Amino acid sequence: MATGFLTDTTVCIGCKACEVACKQWNQLPADGYELTGDSYDNTKQLSGTTWRHVAFIENPRKRRLTGDVDLVALAEDVKEQLPGGAEIDALGRWSFMSDVCKHCVEAPCQQACPTGAIIRNEFDNVYIQPDVCNGCGYCVSACPYGVITRVPHDGRAFKCTLCYDRQKDGLEPACAKACPTDSIQFGEVEDLKVRAEERVAELHAKGYTNAYIYGTPEVGGTGGIGGNHSKFILMDEPETYNLPRHPFLPQDKVHQASVASIVTAGVLGAVVAFAFGALERGAR
Amino acid sequence: MTDVREETRPSRNGQVETSHHPETDPQRKDNDYYGIPPIKEHTWTWEIPLYFWLGGIGAGAHVVTTIARLVGVEDQAFLRAGRYTTLVTMLLSPVLLIMDLGRPERFYNMLRIVKWRSPMSMGSWALSVFGGLSGLVATAQAAEDGLLGRDNFAARLAGAIPDRLMSLLALPFGYFVGAYTGVLLATTSVPMWARNAVLMGPTFLSSALSTGLSAISLVLHLGDWGERRTLESLRKAERIALVVESSLLAASLIRMSRWGKPLFSKKLGPLFVGGTLIGGLLAPFALLSGRESRSRSLLASVLVLIGGYLLRYTMVEGGRLSARDPQATFTFARKENLPLREENV
Repeated sequence: MATGFLTDTTVCIGCKACEVACKQWNQLPADGYELTGDSYDNTKQLSGTTWRHVAFIENPRKRRLTGDVDLVALAEDVKEQLPGGAEIDALGRWSFMSDVCKHCVEAPCQQACPTGAIIRNEFDNVYIQPDVCNGCGYCVSACPYGVITRVPHDGRAFKCTLCYDRQKDGLEPACAKACPTDSIQFGEVEDLKVRAEERVAELHAKGYTNAYIYGTPEVGGTGGIGGNHSKFILMDEPETYNLPRHPFLPQDKVHQASVASIVTAGVLGAVVAFAFGALERGAR
Repeated sequence: MTDVREETRPSRNGQVETSHHPETDPQRKDNDYYGIPPIKEHTWTWEIPLYFWLGGIGAGAHVVTTIARLVGVEDQAFLRAGRYTTLVTMLLSPVLLIMDLGRPERFYNMLRIVKWRSPMSMGSWALSVFGGLSGLVATAQAAEDGLLGRDNFAARLAGAIPDRLMSLLALPFGYFVGAYTGVLLATTSVPMWARNAVLMGPTFLSSALSTGLSAISLVLHLGDWGERRTLESLRKAERIALVVESSLLAASLIRMSRWGKPLFSKKLGPLFVGGTLIGGLLAPFALLSGRESRSRSLLASVLVLIGGYLLRYTMVEGGRLSARDPQATFTFARKENLPLREENV
């Protein structure tokens, strides 16, 4: 049984309950009180001490207003016609996205980990065993999503555990439990996949043809790592949400790199043998 | 700055162009998320480039002495210099690596499993085996040199070490230690490193050999040791090694293309171009090609060693700059840049 998340960004309201629930349940320390000025996002990114992060994307490109504009009339009356009778303020669209560890099917961090601290647990989640990790930091560079970091005062690497402890007790992860709009759904990956496809079909039927699933190999890329157990329904380009379009498995290149290194080793050995051997012969 | 403002917000009364936030201004062309990097930069500190350099020197010196001995070189001063160089680097390397760990007291977890596809796991094993074997070879050398005393148990035991066999056994592990550091960087999600996945290992290995040769040459010239023809062979090997390294580095830079930009940035450019390309490859090659003299050889060796360190340093720090650049990651994580796995794409 593989469990995972489905984060439907189209119903996210940006309340950050998931961030708070995650911090509380997992007893994660605060990251400071920096006000970034980047919309309502003062968390900025995922890290070893932040396992859920709500991104705020203000999208004023919806309609550009120039010339003589009555702002009061705009706020009260002027509506943009949307398919299906939906209405939206012409000032733009404000999207939110609760980011989390993607729990890759072929996880680069897990393959990189030299100690075997990063494993797949019985729920097929990518899990860091905190009692084994020695803080080498290799997973940090391996992760194609910038999820894992080494926590400075602890020295070890941390990331979302998909609430391993709660799952063991038959509970859903804290963030999914706290989510008031069911934007974060927890369940078996196969079920979530079906649910995601249904939801996207529904959105398409309503006219939102730009909705798509991020995290399955067939649709929306991420084929290089065999898909994700944390899937997302997105409305914009992946880059808008700070996600790479086609993350790849870096370890796929180990084989080629090894062959190239062995060939080079042979050539360099021949160079040394030639330099020393040729002169030996010449001296005799 | 002021020009943009004037354009987007005309000062004439009643003419307003709305924008919630300057960062999400519709005129902004880039598509990143407030400039926050989508991947994290590495957490390694000064120990890592220093280890990459020292480990390379030790591996290179071992490869040189072992192969030279295979083709019949019996110059004792040369073998001694090479073996002790390797010993010193192999004593320092684990210390540096353990210092860099977040939990140094758990360093032994590195030898908990064998993972073929993790260069760091394989590197830890190779370093352990290579360190052990080359340590035995150096111990045998020390016994021969009388450093362990004469006619005591330790000296007799050390004298019984089959040093020739041990050197040969250590050879593949030495090569591995020289090359894996490059592969380790290349098999990550950092665009500058990953882009050059195939040539990173070979480049580091050739630099390991050239710095290993230079370290031996430096020691021999400093002490006025070694036979004349050994020094001549060293000179020749250094020259060819520099040519091989230059070609691999040139090919790497072509392969890195736009993702290699950090190497020529304001911060790293002077070190990489001045220290590695000109100071560490071109200048020593010119010095070794011309008239032979002790001072020229010494200078060439020092330059190669400095250039080798700067190569490791600029590569590691370049990866940091590369990870900080959102556009580098976004443009690299495209379908056309994926490794060969068409069936899954």
